[in-house]
Amino acid sequence: MSDQQEKMRQGAEKLLQNEEVGYVIGWGTTRFADRTTPIFIDTPAAASDFVWNEYAVNSLAKYLLDDKYPDKKIGVFVRGCESRALNRMLKDKQVKRENLYLIGTPCDGKKAGRCSLCRERNPLLYDVLLWEPVPNVPAEGRFDRVRAIEAMTPDERYGYWGAVYDKCIRCYACRNACPVCSCRECYVDMSRTGFQGKQHSRSDNQIFGVTRAFHVGDRCIECGECERVCPMDLPIMGQTQKILKDINELAGEYECGLDAESENFLGAFDLDDKDEFM
Amino acid sequence: MELKKEKLPEALALLQSDARLFLPAEADGLPQFTVWDGKQAPCLSGNPPLPPKDVLFPRSEKMYGYNLSTGDVADLASPEKQVIFGIRPCDVKSIEKLDRAFLEKGYADSYYRTRREQLTTLSLGCTEAARTCFCESMGLDPADAPGADLMLNDAGDAFSVKSNSEKGEAVLARWGKLLTEDADKDAKGAGKDVSVHCAFKVDLPADLPERLTARFEDPAWAALSRACLGCGCCSYICPTCYCFDIGQENRGAEGTAFRCWDSCMFSDYSRMAGGHNPRPSKRERLRNRYLHKLAYFNERYGTTLCVGCGRCVDKCPAHLDITKVIETVGGER
Repeated sequence: MSDQQEKMRQGAEKLLQNEEVGYVIGWGTTRFADRTTPIFIDTPAAASDFVWNEYAVNSLAKYLLDDKYPDKKIGVFVRGCESRALNRMLKDKQVKRENLYLIGTPCDGKKAGRCSLCRERNPLLYDVLLWEPVPNVPAEGRFDRVRAIEAMTPDERYGYWGAVYDKCIRCYACRNACPVCSCRECYVDMSRTGFQGKQHSRSDNQIFGVTRAFHVGDRCIECGECERVCPMDLPIMGQTQKILKDINELAGEYECGLDAESENFLGAFDLDDKDEFM
Repeated sequence: MELKKEKLPEALALLQSDARLFLPAEADGLPQFTVWDGKQAPCLSGNPPLPPKDVLFPRSEKMYGYNLSTGDVADLASPEKQVIFGIRPCDVKSIEKLDRAFLEKGYADSYYRTRREQLTTLSLGCTEAARTCFCESMGLDPADAPGADLMLNDAGDAFSVKSNSEKGEAVLARWGKLLTEDADKDAKGAGKDVSVHCAFKVDLPADLPERLTARFEDPAWAALSRACLGCGCCSYICPTCYCFDIGQENRGAEGTAFRCWDSCMFSDYSRMAGGHNPRPSKRERLRNRYLHKLAYFNERYGTTLCVGCGRCVDKCPAHLDITKVIETVGGER
């Protein structure tokens, strides 16, 4: 892995030297050896700050939304999960491909729970690939926990989600970390509309949970950032996965972010739609 | 004085007989300060991810009810005796800081004051420091909380017990025959080596508030804020963050006014009527949060608004670190 880290540092250094990019987004060290933090490097000399180890867990794609109109291209390291996020963000017109320089870094999985379900370890789009692609590992049990929740009685299920949302502190880390959660202004922050009550209660918390799940459910790339960042360790990707599972069962195999052209299932519309239900 | 550990359930039951007793216990698969059910075993190691802040300052609190047609107003505050057992010295110190904010400078918040007057704190000294604990750097002793009503420390098969206040004396009187005298051990638990130190440290320069304020426009703020996701995790798990919002909930002519936690990391926190936002981006919001903790609070109350509990360091999704902020912006130049 240190060999790969060296390639990343050299790659970033060259891009910055040649002024092909304004800065490069990657991972850097913290005071703890088993934690990294996203860093934004804009000088060739500082490219040696990048690290690549099993603790490089943070998704980098979301940070591209902070700089939608860059003067120069933004360089960003891209694994399978970042590339799926980017496909979705490109389709949603959140970023422009010509503003990005994608440095492909095939990934063997990190120390994050989500990586055990990863089905695309190699970047699906990139400008340069720093090393050979790695074999994808068939991920078993994609919807196992959704099935476990479906098997509950309605009362049990309400109890299950009620207990989850009793613990939610509504810090909105899940929303802010989600790479496909991209509204310019979140309905939660529109405090005068009354959409989302500000009080801490089971019902207000659940309204947030359900709304979040439906807003991103058919665009969820299952990167697991929502669960990784949750300070209360709540199993909230189960909700978006439930929507994905339903779509899979209703409309055939469905997976988000594999390309930048596919419509999202719930957002797609057709002008010839018969609207029979209206 | 000491309390044999085998007597703890009995001692807790006595506390519970006339007050709501909170203690750290496993509830819903998570260690948290919870109302004791009379059976749960308290967690006597570590500190729960959420501080017991909401015992004094609830996440949501009904303030008063009103009827728009009759004009009646009813106070909904319901003072009730509360006890927290097992609160760590850092969280005790955070209550001292909240006291400053809610009770000083000419205005006492009546909702907070009522709860505070009814609260007794029984602190448990730490026997181990988590790797993110840095309370010593903030001037605390992990084994002593002078602000607690009663201080307990692990002394092998017993807790050494020391009262710091009248409320603490009342607890001792109530425990009475459960307590045993042990002349060999002092209140800090000598007899067993409980000296515990934080491996995680930060230098706190004496003039940190001045340095930070002088560096208000420092580019380091923008650099530090880039990895920030702009969520409210740090504020909501912080034992000293005390910002709140006030709102109303109406059902026909009946309504209630409530207040609930808010976070300066959210965009709508500083948005003004008309839509202008003086803190439009993560940079301004993050800077404000740290300046409040490390400079503005000092200017007003002469102490920092951080106790070194390390929760934000542990839980930040982007792995930001307040000690890094202190070093980066507050360091020697």
